Amino acid sequence: MKQPLPTLFLASLVLLLGGCGQAENDGTREASNAAQEAATGAAVDAEVEAFYAANPDFFGFKTLADLPPGLEWTSNEHLPEIGSPEARKGGTQYGALQDFPRTLRTVGPDSNGGFRPFLLDDVGMTLTHQHPETLELYPGLAESWAVDWENQTVYAKLDPAATWSDGQPITADDYLFMFWFYRSPYIMAPWYNNFYSTKYTNISRYDDHTISISMAERKPDMDELGLLLRPVPRHFYRQMDEDFSEHYQWEFEPTPGPYIVRDQDIRKGRSIALTRLENWWARDKKHWRYRFNPDRIQLSVIRDAAKMFEAFKRGDLDQFGLGLAEYWYEKLPDSDPDVQAGYIHKTVFYNQRPRPPFGLWINTAQPLLDNRDIRIGIGHATNWDMVIEKFFRGDNERLDTANDGFGEFSHPTLKAREFDLAKAQEHFARAGFSRRGADGILVNDAGQKLSFNLSTGYETMRDVLTILRQEAAKAGLDLRLEILDGTVGWKQVQEKQHDISFLAFGRFLEEYPRFWEHYHSDNAWDRAFLEDGSVNPDRQPKTQTNNLEAFALLEMDQLIERYRASSDRDEMIALSHQMIALHHEHASFVPGFYQGFFRVGHWRWVRYPEGFSYKHSDGPGELFVHWIDTEMKEETLAARRTGKTFPPSITVYDQWAE
Amino acid sequence: MFSLNPQTRKKLQRFRKIKRGYYSFLLLAGLGVMLAFGELLINSRALIVSYQGELYFPTYTDFHPGTDFGLDYTYETNYRELQALFQEQGEGNWVLLPLVPYNPYENHAPGGIFRPLPPDAAEQHYLGTDTTSRDILARLFYGTRIALVFALVFTACVYLIGITIGCAMGYFGGVFDLVFQRIIEIWSNVPFLYMVIIIFSVIPSSVAVTTRIGILLLVMVLFSWTGMTYYMRTETYKEKSRDYIASARVIGASNTRIIFRHIMPNVLSTLVTFMPFTIVAAISAITALDFLGFGLPAPTPSLGELLKQGTANLRTAPWIVISAFGTLVALLTLVTFIGEAIRESFDPKTFSVYR
Repeated sequence: MKQPLPTLFLASLVLLLGGCGQAENDGTREASNAAQEAATGAAVDAEVEAFYAANPDFFGFKTLADLPPGLEWTSNEHLPEIGSPEARKGGTQYGALQDFPRTLRTVGPDSNGGFRPFLLDDVGMTLTHQHPETLELYPGLAESWAVDWENQTVYAKLDPAATWSDGQPITADDYLFMFWFYRSPYIMAPWYNNFYSTKYTNISRYDDHTISISMAERKPDMDELGLLLRPVPRHFYRQMDEDFSEHYQWEFEPTPGPYIVRDQDIRKGRSIALTRLENWWARDKKHWRYRFNPDRIQLSVIRDAAKMFEAFKRGDLDQFGLGLAEYWYEKLPDSDPDVQAGYIHKTVFYNQRPRPPFGLWINTAQPLLDNRDIRIGIGHATNWDMVIEKFFRGDNERLDTANDGFGEFSHPTLKAREFDLAKAQEHFARAGFSRRGADGILVNDAGQKLSFNLSTGYETMRDVLTILRQEAAKAGLDLRLEILDGTVGWKQVQEKQHDISFLAFGRFLEEYPRFWEHYHSDNAWDRAFLEDGSVNPDRQPKTQTNNLEAFALLEMDQLIERYRASSDRDEMIALSHQMIALHHEHASFVPGFYQGFFRVGHWRWVRYPEGFSYKHSDGPGELFVHWIDTEMKEETLAARRTGKTFPPSITVYDQWAE
Repeated sequence: MFSLNPQTRKKLQRFRKIKRGYYSFLLLAGLGVMLAFGELLINSRALIVSYQGELYFPTYTDFHPGTDFGLDYTYETNYRELQALFQEQGEGNWVLLPLVPYNPYENHAPGGIFRPLPPDAAEQHYLGTDTTSRDILARLFYGTRIALVFALVFTACVYLIGITIGCAMGYFGGVFDLVFQRIIEIWSNVPFLYMVIIIFSVIPSSVAVTTRIGILLLVMVLFSWTGMTYYMRTETYKEKSRDYIASARVIGASNTRIIFRHIMPNVLSTLVTFMPFTIVAAISAITALDFLGFGLPAPTPSLGELLKQGTANLRTAPWIVISAFGTLVALLTLVTFIGEAIRESFDPKTFSVYR
């Protein structure tokens, strides 16, 4: 018995020592981590300070005494609240994503994905926000603000109560840092680099909670440009170098908003969840208090749309977008038992906002498509009315130009080219295509077929293209369909390898359209024109821009320059009309359709305020005015088991129908 | 050399005796003939048009613009409407349409809205329509034809390469055998599906549909010939060591003569038995690829694409998945039955498990 005891003792000693070693190791690692962070943090500080010092015109450090006198501070008290006083906090909202987010960053490579609205666009906070009813500004991180149109400057008093989700206060420094951050090469985001160095000329700090921002141009929306800025937490970005995108790939940036992503809720490839901050600083503020109600937003990855719908029908998902006619009329018809029993509510909401330009973007850099007659012919040979009637069942409207829905800035009279086989053939004949081949497709004297690739990255829109193809064949035009995966389709048009592409750009809620990115020759060719204004014979297409039509007209360039430089609203409207007409003349875009509403199916426990949503909103979830009624959920689930029913609810909100 | 020697004749007689396989073969052969002349059965073009005393046979000719028959448009005549029109006019003109007057590409929406239509004999959509109102029977029919032709060409190519290399490995042996075995081992470990995806992502979209199908065929053949070589190699090894080969060599027969006159006929049974299963594999593969979206380019009719549509509309349009699935099962069962019968009849042992 003597022997085992020392052995045991020895063993326990070894264990103990081992444990100690472990603890010690951890401790040193932590310490070294902290030390490293302090070092990189100091490096960032040094770099930021040096940048401030090197750009004294841009970064101003002033005192309150420097504030110009006579500023008219406002906080638009009169704007109505958003959301419903009936809203109750709590519950879990279940949703789905088609893809797991590729990163938690909101800037840099891969950050512009479908999850970004949950990180920033819909739940983030900026100085002020646009009221979804009137587009006037209401307070966000700024308590009040003043606009000095004369000097192209906005002033903002920051809400001293505002904090980041990690408890740190939000101060003027975070706004100055934001400019450094967005202009830094480390974030690998050229658009941000360019935007934040050309649109703004100055940011000044007066004290911890007072700033001013100056804009380069006095546009009608100059105040929004300044007041819709968001801060970037300086205390969070302590390691800024070439590894930025990797280092912050899965780091959740502290947010001034109500929802955070916790590490334990990230299950890569499967699901991700947002958690509501109980002590959110703005929880009792007007315009904010009745919104962001669910305690948790659970998002699972379901890659297949059909499966997503089944999950919704089972009750695993709370709501499902029914934008496509197929869903609204076939898969969840009004006669569906769940709808008739009142478990699932169907809602249509008509909104008003700039319309995404669904249509055919013709790459005029391709052979044959550089011929205007052929493009006009294509315009007349595509039967959008049939698409709208047969695929969308008459719910959508024909788009007339690429820039509809901008109010006065949109062209008041211009109509899209109508489907007309005779006109199409006339224009094709002018381009030399007057004879039909054995298969009914037009050929020219050189034996070339009138045949183009029509590609898209929208798999759900496959049938739209099938209809177009079928109808175009009647005019002797062959459209070869190419249905691509979303990313591949986007890559194709960015590389300018398409003939004709069917797609739309998302439209922000902006007052006037942007022309430069789509129609300026700078974005079409490396050097479109020679000194004398003639076409450069050696020009090469420029890739990775949004000028998908290779649109390059000297006249358009000049109009765009004038439009960009102009600060007179009436002049801008006139120029806008002129450019839209010119674009129409060029016939490089075939306007398709727009949807003047959004519609959704939701289980009855997802409650919405009276009126459902707001005039300029984009979707049911965008403003987070809904709430989850947990009692109603239990009641509904129980009713489903017992067969109890409720009155069905199929509602159309057309108070904002155009 | 493959002509009917008594041995072969006996095998064929045994094949005829195995009823299940024999009838499957007859059915499939009948289907093959139907598919070959499919344009006469399922087509939007009329079989015969009699217009002003003249007969037209549009099925295999150039397209006839509407103006040919007194209509006011220059695109391809819609023969269904023409038939109705002629009947209405009653001027003695007539149109004879095929049994199913639709082609696999056209959208025919009787209700004016593109949506799946249940089977409807009055509209002559005997299996209903798919999500864009295309006739399912037409799409199935031509989809099957493409799949079968694809599978046959695939099998021929795989056999050609497999037999050549397998025989050479077995016959020459030694270093050649050793080197090729290693090459095949490496090659067969390249993941096939990834290769298909990668290759199709770099093929420019301007490539014609037929060329794309050709490329798909090529890729599938490139990654499928390896399996065949092993069987051929072992069979050849076995035969090579037999006395009759040795005697042939002693007489001074050339390598070519030995391989083609002596070895090949003796390994024929192996080849023939595998053939139906290779076809089954090819049909399944092309269907699976279509289902995943990496197969035949749209809008080519295909079984896989129909299956995909069917699973996406399981609840609202069950007839799509039923038709596609039924066809696939029937086709594969027929081929498998034939395969089993062949295997049994070519088995030198009279009594085997497949009775």
